[in-house]
Amino acid sequence: MRERLRFLDTRLLLPMLILLVMGTLTVYSAGRGTAQSTLWLKQTLWNVLGFLLLIAVAAANTPRIFRTALPLYILGLASLAAVLAAGHRIGGAQRWLVLGHLTWQPSELMKWVTLLFVAHRLGSRPIQEVSARDLAEAAALVLFPMLLVLKQPDLGMAISFLPILVLIPLLKGLKAKWAALGLVAFSLLGVVSWRILLKPYQKQRILTFLEPGADLQGKGYQINQSRIAIGSGGMFGQGFTSGSQTQLNFLPVKTTDFVFSVWAEERGFLGVLLALGLFGAVIARILDTARVAKTSSESYFCVGAAGIIALHLFVNVGMVVGLLPNKGIVLPFFSAGGSSTLSYFLGLGAVMAVGYRAKMK
Amino acid sequence: MPVPNPNLIQKRIGVLKTVAWFMILWLALAYAWVQLWKGREMERLALAQAVKTRTTPAPRGIIFDRNGNKLVDNRRALYLVIQYEDLPKDPAQIEALAQALQTDPDQLRRRVVAIRQAAGNRMLVLQDNLDDSALARAEVLRARFPFLSIEVAPRRVYLGEDLAGHALGYVGEVTPQEMAQAPGRYQLGEIIGRTGFESSRNDQLKGVDGQRRILVDYLGREVATYGQQEAQPGRSVYLTLDSGLQTVMKDAFGATSGAGVVLDLRDGGILALYSNPSYDPNIFLNRLTQEQVKDYWDNPDRPMLNRVTQGRYPPGSTFKLLVAIAALEKGIITPATTFTCRGHQEFYGRDFRCDAAHGTLNLVEAIAKSCDIYFYELGARLDVDDIYNAAKKYGLVEDTGVDLPHEVMSRVPSREWKRRVKKEKWYAGETISVAIGQGANAITPISLARFYAMIATKGKLLNPHLLYGVRPDNGGDIDLYQPPPPRDTGLDPKIWATLDEGLYQVVHSGTARSSAIPGLDICGKTGTSQVVAFVDKAHYASLAKRFRDNALFCGYAPRDNPQIAFCVVAANAGFGADSAAPIVRQLCQYWFIDRIKKPIPPPSAKLPDAFRLDNQPGDEDQPQ
Repeated sequence: MRERLRFLDTRLLLPMLILLVMGTLTVYSAGRGTAQSTLWLKQTLWNVLGFLLLIAVAAANTPRIFRTALPLYILGLASLAAVLAAGHRIGGAQRWLVLGHLTWQPSELMKWVTLLFVAHRLGSRPIQEVSARDLAEAAALVLFPMLLVLKQPDLGMAISFLPILVLIPLLKGLKAKWAALGLVAFSLLGVVSWRILLKPYQKQRILTFLEPGADLQGKGYQINQSRIAIGSGGMFGQGFTSGSQTQLNFLPVKTTDFVFSVWAEERGFLGVLLALGLFGAVIARILDTARVAKTSSESYFCVGAAGIIALHLFVNVGMVVGLLPNKGIVLPFFSAGGSSTLSYFLGLGAVMAVGYRAKMK
Repeated sequence: MPVPNPNLIQKRIGVLKTVAWFMILWLALAYAWVQLWKGREMERLALAQAVKTRTTPAPRGIIFDRNGNKLVDNRRALYLVIQYEDLPKDPAQIEALAQALQTDPDQLRRRVVAIRQAAGNRMLVLQDNLDDSALARAEVLRARFPFLSIEVAPRRVYLGEDLAGHALGYVGEVTPQEMAQAPGRYQLGEIIGRTGFESSRNDQLKGVDGQRRILVDYLGREVATYGQQEAQPGRSVYLTLDSGLQTVMKDAFGATSGAGVVLDLRDGGILALYSNPSYDPNIFLNRLTQEQVKDYWDNPDRPMLNRVTQGRYPPGSTFKLLVAIAALEKGIITPATTFTCRGHQEFYGRDFRCDAAHGTLNLVEAIAKSCDIYFYELGARLDVDDIYNAAKKYGLVEDTGVDLPHEVMSRVPSREWKRRVKKEKWYAGETISVAIGQGANAITPISLARFYAMIATKGKLLNPHLLYGVRPDNGGDIDLYQPPPPRDTGLDPKIWATLDEGLYQVVHSGTARSSAIPGLDICGKTGTSQVVAFVDKAHYASLAKRFRDNALFCGYAPRDNPQIAFCVVAANAGFGADSAAPIVRQLCQYWFIDRIKKPIPPPSAKLPDAFRLDNQPGDEDQPQ
């Protein structure tokens, strides 16, 4: 058995599985006594299903994986278009496709498909330095689905496409001056976005971030309650299923966006350090895989995967403690939700496939 | 397949790894700041919003009549309130709330500020006794103003409605003026007796509010109780009233306005006390509508006035007994002295009339036939101060000490009074009118009843009271109220015998013959008088004079062993024997005869109130 599953990278799998157990327990605690009391069971099912998918992908040959990139990319764009045309609407945002009893959020998987496709495209060309064509292609491939996501609207999700656009050209040899130019262009885009693209509620969130005390019952209320939850965790935490902020529902959206506040309240600073350490171990292991990868495409994919996970970690964990504006973004391995869980398993499965291939030869 | 540039990629991945670890370090520092440095403060904030202190209002004592029939009870009611810690600070919010509640924003703001400054953990009651539709509206308001909450608290129910409104009074929130008058006595928002017995015995009736520390969720819903100090209910109180006799009195008055009181001659306990028009105290538990304010407070018939203790009437012929005492004590006459009545006679150059030409009569006959000429003769021989001093001696011009608030003192004129009030000297001619109970005489029914009780008890001045006893906290036997011992006036037994005989003859052979009850010797005196000082004069001036006459009947029964004394005033009802005496007849009929055979059942709650204090609503519907 062990011999047959040797393509599974234990040094990546172990921290990941520990995080998944922690996450599911947190979802259990957060859902107690609410309508979401069985959500942890559902999440466990997603985890099992995801793990099976991970095994399947990790066992596959990387060239085979990259060959699926183009059809998947086209399918992804089509499903994003379908979301905009006939998606399920929750709270003013149209982000979901309904398939029978399930709701599916195509943008979660599309992130990984875009990463796969961009890594494939840019990795297929010789590296001396990044050509204008490379940049244009990367920009086009990333910005197209990103704009579709922004239209839903889903600012948090759109932002999580950015590591692909930044990291892969950087790795390919983007010169520092180009990077600086990109930064300027991005700031410009930011100004344009603020003026034209951003919805009033998105602006409100950013403003709330800048002045949290102003509107305690509104958007700032969530961050405020989250900070109270995290702070009352102290060093050792209030104990499993004993956080007052969580159990009395003062904490909002506590099974998804604010799930880490639940962990911080009930497990304290030590629990936070443990979780951050495990996330660090996952990211470091993925970057190590990128180092030993046999091809540029494989390397780019791994760096992009580390970037996506790091971005989610930083934005979500930073947001709930008040470091960053309140925007809906999930925390990998913690937040409940089928689309994102399966997507992370698939992505990490591909990373393991890269690692196994490097080990074999 | 192209091979990656090992140097560049390795270098940049190394940088990325460092960046990732630095980001994680930054996050760790942020969490250290919030959890370790600010942890205590955050924990305090979490507790502050999750643990609340709530005041549990204590139910007031239940009020029973002397036979243990419930007159006042408590019910479970729903209130729309703002809890102390939820009081809004934003003036715009208060403004919006006032608009939604259709109340005065300034007043609401003052109440909010007052409760916050009092810092007593009291809630601000916005609406009370919510019914189904008010509850639905309150829930809608709560969605808009999340600081509102709905609380369950006890509420008074007056079972007899207007049966004994003036005796019982009603309750309400303490006013800022009352708090200023007696600093430290009341808590802000406290429910106190506003008038009647509820007010005079507030200290016995009120309980001690309890406190609860509770855990609430984000909507302020109670999740668990941390600790509580139970509310101590007020003590059950028994009144001297007999609800059956009270019912008879109310029915006997019917639409006739007036007042009646019946005293227990053993101790001065009030067996019945009724003022008509009466009111239903339940109405005053809610904020009055403009129409209700007009009906009750601005009504020229003055329904809010307790005519028994606050209405002063010219006593008319019922006053003649006092004049007789004054004359006998001064030695002007003896019981055998006779005067002759020709129907009219001149005193001080003015012609005074009598109802009829009674001929020659002695004192007993003069009382029985209520001959005015006889008493004019006494008035001509007495000084006004003789009458005043007798009134003082026999308790007519002092507070009766009844345990009802704002008792008005009766008035019998004197030289000193006229000099002080009218700034004029007394003319002897005025004494003539005073001698038959007219003039400046203004007596409350309760002091007249006490005066006749004095005659019945051969000179004892009782202390009229409503408090019969209080049930101790441990629920044992009732602590009976001991009224102060009666004051002995030293009435000469010979004088008493004459008065007693006269009063007996009034019903036996005199003016109130028609109200006699076979087998029961009632002693009493009729009276008819004019002018009502306390009602709207403009309103009454338009009425025919006969409607302005008050009919009175005062006395005691039975003659041999007096049990009760009474005074009934039927305002604007003509001759005393025609309207007041029949009411007394019905009272005596019930008290001495019907009460034993078939007592009137006590009042029962007819109010559509779904909430009972001791059980959850609907308990009785549950299958066992």
